Amino acid sequence: MHGNPASDISIPPKTHKKNDAAGPEIPIGNFAGARIIFAMIRLVALITLALLAAISTYAAEKAQSLSPDQMAKAVRTDSITVPTPGELFAALGKTGKINWSAQYRGPIPTTYSDRAQIALNLGGLIADGFIAVEAKDGQQVKNIGSDILKLGKALGVSEQLLGRGNSINEFAEHSDWDTLQEELEATQNEVKSSMQSHDDQDLVILVTLGGWIRGTQVVTGVIMKNYSESAAKVLRQPALVRFIQSKVNEISPELRQQPLVKDVSEQLSGIEKLVSFPADKVPTQEEVRKVNEAVSKLMTEIQSKEPAK
Amino acid sequence: MRRSIQIFVWTLVLSTGFVLRADTDAEVNARKDALEIAGAFSNDDFKIRDGHSCGLLKPHDHALIAVNLYAGNQYWFSVGTSDPVKKVAVSLYDESGKPMKTEDYSNGDKAAAGFEPENSGQYYVGVDLLEGQEGSFCLVYSYK
Repeated sequence: MHGNPASDISIPPKTHKKNDAAGPEIPIGNFAGARIIFAMIRLVALITLALLAAISTYAAEKAQSLSPDQMAKAVRTDSITVPTPGELFAALGKTGKINWSAQYRGPIPTTYSDRAQIALNLGGLIADGFIAVEAKDGQQVKNIGSDILKLGKALGVSEQLLGRGNSINEFAEHSDWDTLQEELEATQNEVKSSMQSHDDQDLVILVTLGGWIRGTQVVTGVIMKNYSESAAKVLRQPALVRFIQSKVNEISPELRQQPLVKDVSEQLSGIEKLVSFPADKVPTQEEVRKVNEAVSKLMTEIQSKEPAK
Repeated sequence: MRRSIQIFVWTLVLSTGFVLRADTDAEVNARKDALEIAGAFSNDDFKIRDGHSCGLLKPHDHALIAVNLYAGNQYWFSVGTSDPVKKVAVSLYDESGKPMKTEDYSNGDKAAAGFEPENSGQYYVGVDLLEGQEGSFCLVYSYK
């Protein structure tokens, strides 16, 4: 014990007071304890710095974020807020090889007398045109183009569409699929533009709605047959359905009271709930089936039901 | 060549007035510029969506346009402007208003933002006037 140099260091008695201004004296024997204290001080300092950095990042992000008022005032128009069926099909196409021609439906009547029903079916037919383009099926594109013309004629917009119909046929014959898709989008916009100039503004949203319903029917049908999470993700569109619903609510009370429009509007509220998944949740197979069931029911009514007089 | 044809077709569509509402001359010019930028992305297989949103851009104002995007698709939002707008920026926000990371392109009075959404749903395209005075802008977008 006497050989240990540390034993030569005298430990001052506890009552002994030394220079108070220099702070409490740390006994050499407590050196390990002091190191722990310093380490803890450093740790606290690091945590404080990290917290400050996180708070300032959050504050900067918050400052750059949009306010609810700004979001509410954002411009929403049919021509840019509502995606085309082509966009929906492009997203689905990324998730695997799709048998597009298996998504065709049988020919629909082109002799409806009700203008609202014609507008809804016109939208559905344009979505069919996009399916035929995805399938790279020139003949089917031409058949659908001809039906679009017939329905357009019934609404008094055939003259403007005639030129488009001719170019659709020409591009289909030359298998120019990219340009065909652009022509279909242009056709849809031209139909809507013509409706606006004919004081048929109320019908515009019905064309959009018909296209969305048919597009969603096809996409849910494909996902049901070959479910994958990445494919199911495309179905989340609550704001889109809300926007369409708000536009349907703006149409004239007379048109809104028509049985078909009333039915479609009522069922749309239910469909909005079915496609309102949280951002981080992927719809299950069962949820996809429910959306498909709802839109298919609506599609059947749109294409076959003659509104009551 | 394909790009030139596309720009020609779009210019033709513009000149024949096949638009949903009557745009002002300044907006038509802004749209031409926006389509020119979008045309460049066509070389990379992006399809230009036949729709647009034009409006007035004011200093210190934040023009916002709501769009609905699909997870899996890639998008480019292209903005053209007219005099006296000198510099413009395009940004993107998710449905909660949180800014999104975008690939940016800027060429003074024209700008674009590239984005690939992880989730389908509503997003907001922001257009900011960075330099210059009040003027028209036009937004078009492309997807693939």
